[in-house]
Amino acid sequence: MGLFGRKKESADTGLRLYYASDIHGTEVLWRKFLRAPEGYKARVLVMGGDLTGKAVVPLVEDGEGGWSSQLFGQPVSAADEAEAVELEERVRANGMYPHRMSAEELERVGALSPEEREKWFEGVMLDTFAQWLALAPERLTDPEIRCFVMPGNDDPDGVGEAIERASRVEACDDRVVEFDGYTMLSLGYSNRTPFDSPRELDEDELGARIELMASQVEDMGRCIFNLHVPPYDSGLDNAPELDDDLTVVTVAGQPSIAPCGSTAVREAIERHQPLVSLHGHVHESRAASHIGRTLCINPGSDYHTGRISGCLVHLAGDRANYQFVVG
Amino acid sequence: MSSAAETGGAAQGSPQLFTRKATGLVREGRTIDALFYNVMWSSVALTFAFFWLFYSFYYNGSNAILAFLIAAALGLPGAFLYAMLAQIMPRTGGDYVFNSRALHPSIGFAANASYCFWLAVVYGVYTTYIATYGVGAFSNMMAGFTGATWWISFGEWFSSEAGLFITGTVAVLVSAAIFIIGGVRLFFRLQVGAFVLYMLGAFLLPMLVGLFGSEGGFISNFNEYGANLGVQNAFSAMQHSATEAGFASSGFDLTATLKSVSVFWFIFGFIYSSNYFAGEIRLKKRTHMLSIPGAVVVAVVALLLLTPAFTGIASYATNGAFGFAEPAAYGFANAPAYPELMAIASGSPVWGTIIIVGFTVGLLIWLPQTMILISRSMFAWSFDRIMPSKLSYVEPRSHSPIFAIAIVSLLAIASTAIYAFTEWFSTISALLGLSTTLIVTAIAGIALPFTQPAMVANSPFARRVAGVPLISLVGGLALLGFSCAIAVLLWDPGSGTSLAHNPGKLELAVVVYAVGFLVYFVSRALRRSQGIDIELAHAELPPD
Repeated sequence: MGLFGRKKESADTGLRLYYASDIHGTEVLWRKFLRAPEGYKARVLVMGGDLTGKAVVPLVEDGEGGWSSQLFGQPVSAADEAEAVELEERVRANGMYPHRMSAEELERVGALSPEEREKWFEGVMLDTFAQWLALAPERLTDPEIRCFVMPGNDDPDGVGEAIERASRVEACDDRVVEFDGYTMLSLGYSNRTPFDSPRELDEDELGARIELMASQVEDMGRCIFNLHVPPYDSGLDNAPELDDDLTVVTVAGQPSIAPCGSTAVREAIERHQPLVSLHGHVHESRAASHIGRTLCINPGSDYHTGRISGCLVHLAGDRANYQFVVG
Repeated sequence: MSSAAETGGAAQGSPQLFTRKATGLVREGRTIDALFYNVMWSSVALTFAFFWLFYSFYYNGSNAILAFLIAAALGLPGAFLYAMLAQIMPRTGGDYVFNSRALHPSIGFAANASYCFWLAVVYGVYTTYIATYGVGAFSNMMAGFTGATWWISFGEWFSSEAGLFITGTVAVLVSAAIFIIGGVRLFFRLQVGAFVLYMLGAFLLPMLVGLFGSEGGFISNFNEYGANLGVQNAFSAMQHSATEAGFASSGFDLTATLKSVSVFWFIFGFIYSSNYFAGEIRLKKRTHMLSIPGAVVVAVVALLLLTPAFTGIASYATNGAFGFAEPAAYGFANAPAYPELMAIASGSPVWGTIIIVGFTVGLLIWLPQTMILISRSMFAWSFDRIMPSKLSYVEPRSHSPIFAIAIVSLLAIASTAIYAFTEWFSTISALLGLSTTLIVTAIAGIALPFTQPAMVANSPFARRVAGVPLISLVGGLALLGFSCAIAVLLWDPGSGTSLAHNPGKLELAVVVYAVGFLVYFVSRALRRSQGIDIELAHAELPPD
């Protein structure tokens, strides 16, 4: 028996799986994710959802060959094409979409209804996402590498469709997949949030979908749950409490923290006791804990730092060990 | 948040960016909340008490205002550096991650482990001061105002070695119990009440007493108070005792002033503890930039108001005499700290109680605050698998990291024993060890644009000044400030870490660091045998 764990596990045996989630439109993180086979010697890659960003930053033509914009609340400008490309890189690295526009187009989009603007935003996102997916065949050249990708609650429907069409990455949302003697069931929907995001379900519907997939699994001792939303009150789902204005509630200068995970996910884990369950969704709740025998992991997300928060899961038979990584 | 465009500050009324319906688009934590935390944890009142308690022994002739202004100036670049690093690496756990990413994981761990070790040492200062200048001073005050002499023996017990240890241990255990019984939520609730009492008792009332009182009124009250403690004309008796002991009031002394900067470093070297408040989308630079350097400004203003209020009641000469005089000569068990003196000046046991309780609550709340800080660091070590996962185990009912809290409690009790039964460390000895971690962070700030160029290039602090990356420049200034502070700590005999007077303390700081490195490399070897390479925890993946 080792000091740091119950049983020793050789570095050379078993399967190394790399899990990351919630990269929210940050292209550099997607590029890094696709480098995990070389960087981490991972043979299975799992992207757990929330791939798309939350904001479009307009770069507005200034009429003199340059562009003006605002970043971090500060005015910024690009005098020429080279500077514009550099500015776009900075915007992308912070999880936002740069979008070149004329002053007229800016005015037109600004005047759209919320529903029309959501649609316009979706178009910008999906164009970018298609470019991301095209990188996968270039980078995942080893045919032994498996790369599973699913949309999360923040991703519009078009994201899932784009994954289905893509080559070299495998869609896994709402289905059961197998690799190296392990089974993985996946679901990118979340329970209800205060944000009214695109893919949310009531708890009973969430539970029903998980049950349907779980019924197809023969050996839970070699099963991985890949569920975007973490189990309720598991230590993986602690988030700042929000008031009606979506402002963080603070008490005595500290954010008031409350669990926001799914009760249906928790019940499913308690009932089926898979080997590992992988989660994202709550960025600030990076943690690993056990529910019964199940190792539950949420690597969190600091997507706007340009570093990808993930977790290496070492699978050896019916045993699992883990290591958080920030790549 | 909605899918509407954000429009604030747009030059021509046009949107700055378009957002959509998605989770996590919350507004940033309020600047005032982060400011509040920094000011509360930096123990302005306790440091003010330190200065006057040490004045006659080490700093006779020092000017308090000049000393704390110098300390603030030395700490200000560091405040900006920590604010910038917290903005670049939000919600990531402070210097451990800053230094791990900018320099090397072993350096980040050793520096942070050293910081936590010395914070644990500081526990003993707070717990023994709670006994002496909290409960002991309150008992003394009750005897002084009421003439009920049994309060004296009651109060004296708290100044005994056993009293210091038992009171301090109880305070530590109560702090741990807060988390085990009610979790962080209960602590935050208690902190609200503590903050109100602290501000009222330690600052507002003393300022009012100073504003409306006079030294003559204080002396009259002190004599009446001393009479109840069994000594007539206590003020004269105190002065006589001080003179007999060799006290002579000194004029302004620049050397003493510079040495006393070490006391105020207790505030201005460690006022950077908030780094949680960062938005999901970094629209603003203001939160950290105002709350961390802003805390420096608030502390300076508080001291600028409190110092003349106090010296108007008890002058530099009076404080010097209190230090030299034998307390028994004027009926006291210990030389009184500023809260008891202001309580006496108020002439009222009610006001006096509020002043002493407010001051004591400021000490008490530091104990659980620091438990959170150290246990968060332990969390981070455990996440990176340097330490066993038990350290990040959270008890489900209270949501508290009970193993981490238990370890911090044991360290705090050990430190209480050291301060109660030995003279190994002086009151501010830990500042040297704590400051060495600041040095590492300053170097990390200088190095960051070179070791993590993309991280800096994509941050709000990407610009250069005269060709030098802004954060390197600020890191350089912070290094200068921190180095000057360390130089003062190594020079000032009052710091307890003077090279001339306290041999072995610098070496101890180095040994603590070395132990941190050793632990890291032993852990790395153990984890490798389990298939885990802990150096991957921060290894950057190449994007291209």
